[in-house]
Amino acid sequence: MGVTVLQQYPVPENKTGTYVIELLTKRILALGASQQGQFLVDCESYLSHPQMGTTKTVHIFHNSEQPASVFSILDTGTKNIHVIADGLFDLLMMKLSQHYTSKKQTKIESKGPRFELGDFCIKLGSVTMNQSFKGILVEVEYRPCVTANAVWNLLREFLQGLLGPSVPVQPPQHLLSRMNDIYTPIDTIYQYLEHFSAYRKITGMRST
Amino acid sequence: MANSVNISIEAPIENQIQEITYDGQEIYQAPLSMSENLARLAQKIDFAKTEDEFCNIKKEGESSSDSKSEDENKEPGYQSSLWPWDSVRNKLRNALTEVSVLADVLSIAKEKRYMVLDPVQPEQVENRPMVQVYGRKKALGAAAAVLLAGVERLRASETMRMTRSMPDFHIDLLRLRQNWRLKKVSNTIVGDLSYRTAGSKFSQTGVFEVTKAPEEQIAQAMSAAGPVPSALRVTVPPELQGVAFISVLCQKEQEDVVTATLSSAAINCPGTLPGDGAELHWQQKLEAAQNVLFCKELFARLAAEAVQLDASIPHMVVGNQIMATVLPGIQLLIGLCHNNGQTNNNANPEGVKPESATGKSDHDHVLEHSLHQLLRAVHHANTHHPFPHPATGPLGPSKRRCLAGPMAADRYELLDMSKEQSLLEQIIQQAQHFFMRRRSEYVLDTIAKEVKDPLIVSHWNALNSPTQSCVKINIMAYGYDAVCRTSLVVHVGEKTLKCICRDGKVRHLSYELQELRDLIYCQIYQHQMTAVQAVGRCMGWQLLASSSHLGSGPVEPLGNASSCLLASPNGDRMLAIRCEPSVGIQVFIAQSPRKDFFTSELVQDKKWEHLGGAFKEIKLEKMEGKNFLNKMELLMACLSSPS
Repeated sequence: MGVTVLQQYPVPENKTGTYVIELLTKRILALGASQQGQFLVDCESYLSHPQMGTTKTVHIFHNSEQPASVFSILDTGTKNIHVIADGLFDLLMMKLSQHYTSKKQTKIESKGPRFELGDFCIKLGSVTMNQSFKGILVEVEYRPCVTANAVWNLLREFLQGLLGPSVPVQPPQHLLSRMNDIYTPIDTIYQYLEHFSAYRKITGMRST
Repeated sequence: MANSVNISIEAPIENQIQEITYDGQEIYQAPLSMSENLARLAQKIDFAKTEDEFCNIKKEGESSSDSKSEDENKEPGYQSSLWPWDSVRNKLRNALTEVSVLADVLSIAKEKRYMVLDPVQPEQVENRPMVQVYGRKKALGAAAAVLLAGVERLRASETMRMTRSMPDFHIDLLRLRQNWRLKKVSNTIVGDLSYRTAGSKFSQTGVFEVTKAPEEQIAQAMSAAGPVPSALRVTVPPELQGVAFISVLCQKEQEDVVTATLSSAAINCPGTLPGDGAELHWQQKLEAAQNVLFCKELFARLAAEAVQLDASIPHMVVGNQIMATVLPGIQLLIGLCHNNGQTNNNANPEGVKPESATGKSDHDHVLEHSLHQLLRAVHHANTHHPFPHPATGPLGPSKRRCLAGPMAADRYELLDMSKEQSLLEQIIQQAQHFFMRRRSEYVLDTIAKEVKDPLIVSHWNALNSPTQSCVKINIMAYGYDAVCRTSLVVHVGEKTLKCICRDGKVRHLSYELQELRDLIYCQIYQHQMTAVQAVGRCMGWQLLASSSHLGSGPVEPLGNASSCLLASPNGDRMLAIRCEPSVGIQVFIAQSPRKDFFTSELVQDKKWEHLGGAFKEIKLEKMEGKNFLNKMELLMACLSSPS
């Protein structure tokens, strides 16, 4: 488990998402990477029943990189509490359907090809919500290192080279406060939560 | 189970947990204050109970109405939490009311004007005692007759047994029951000797039947000398009778598979158990049957694995024999030998005997034992699941797999967890290691025998695992071990060797042991070079140059030639030592001023005689000295003295 940085890639005007994915795939393959299957990160959000007081949201994530785990983040409005559990957690959420109702319309996922290039692992995800295309998320993981601080410059250089100078590369908001901490899989999930929440707010987007 | 254990239970000293927050913090209830505690204890007092005890003299009607009113009072007492003493006050008030009513009644009754107390006559039940007595007598008589008949029968058999001093069936059954699982099915007693309860999942059952031995046979056996016969007879199914064991042998691969199977099929079993069939004690008989069952399970498992595994050289299962290739040219044969009485009579003993002698000598008891151990470990793992057992999760996955979800293990870790080594793979690894160890031992011993000059001492670690061991090799010269010694460590694995040399270099060698041999020879010559330099330093000689990889001379089959150049303390003599693994050690000497210096036209000055002359080789074998270093020391000593 290394350090992962999630970066949004803007889709240029009058271009489709598949075009961008193909463009980035060509660039990565030119660097000498090899494709290693597909990946999928999905998020489903549950809203607490209004009778339980202030509305809380539970986000349930699955990441194909950790196939045995279910990540859940409880958003109380003031702070986020996360729990990592095994696959049975999905069944538990079904039992709790009286208290937490699923917002099916907001089910959002990012999926696409997964590449490996030496110590790097690159994932090109096209984000879709209800089959409507929302954008492109590029995930880059540097596997040998576990603290973000030590590897941030390397990752930035790599991303800059891959995505081109037009894309500004900033450290993710979530990682800013914990650059010196040991990176764990839940940090990746928090980054996805940030981006997914942003995508949900954007209405009207071109379809693929 | 027989020794009961006292368990004391007491309330924890901790306070009760009121709430557990989302982040796992526990909020405790504050402990009760003195007055609160008193109120709580006072509420616990059962007033109804004490009233019953004190007011035995009261009339029934009164006390029942009392308890009824108590019940009514209790409910508001529990519900109203207005004031902790509320229920206590209510109860006390009720008691006061009752006591004053009682006092009033008593005072009225005492005057005998308005009220008189009369004893109440209980109703007489009309009955006829004689009928009952007869009825009971008849019933008791019938029951007594049944018991008496039983006693009579038991006594008869007991006296008969006692007079002939025969063993007791029930005592034997009790003993059997202590060690074996028995149950009664209609009129027969059936036992189970399988390893199911210990975690086995083998499909074959191990049912045996317990019967009472015929008395004539017991009497017959008792008349003969020997141990006291048992009154029990156990009947084991025919497929579990006899003796079985797993034979494990390692042998050189034979060109023809058929001959291999022929010779190996003749592995002989160690006859039957001492004593024959019926005379055998049931304990030994059951143990033997259980062993047969165990061996069958082991072999069935190994055979299934051998078929499933796809090795580069496929494993073969022929009849009662599994063949697996351990190392190139070496085969591991695992066979199931089961000898149940019937076949033994048919087989002709002459044909089997000579082959069994050779077969037995090869049988590897250590590997057989590890096979047994491996299967028992599988059984143990089947029944002993790691704690804690989740209330909702599945039972069975390993602890690592249970934690994989919450610890967010990635796919590589999960793949790693799903890999499980089969018994056959493990036993092949152990066999491989066994061969590697034996071969390295052989190589080290032969080198130690061949090379006398530096001594080669190898220390094998006594503690090792079935698939890894470690040997430390010291190279030193006799008498000079304090001056220089070279040590290296060799880890013997399953198919490879790992050598850690003195300079920290790690070399991985294959199962071809010529590599180890070459490495040790290289180490020996390196040792000689470093040792001669160390001796020179002790003698005050000066090291002018040294090279461990000389580019000159013929190409060596292994390693490179090395050399060093030493100068005497006053600089007038020089020693050159050249060491080639294929040739050996050569020593050359030069001295200055050279004796054969003559001025010529080219070299006119006299001073050039100090350059030193041509090197001349010394015949080492003619020199005095126990070993090479000793010779060098003597040489240096004599060259140091002023000539």
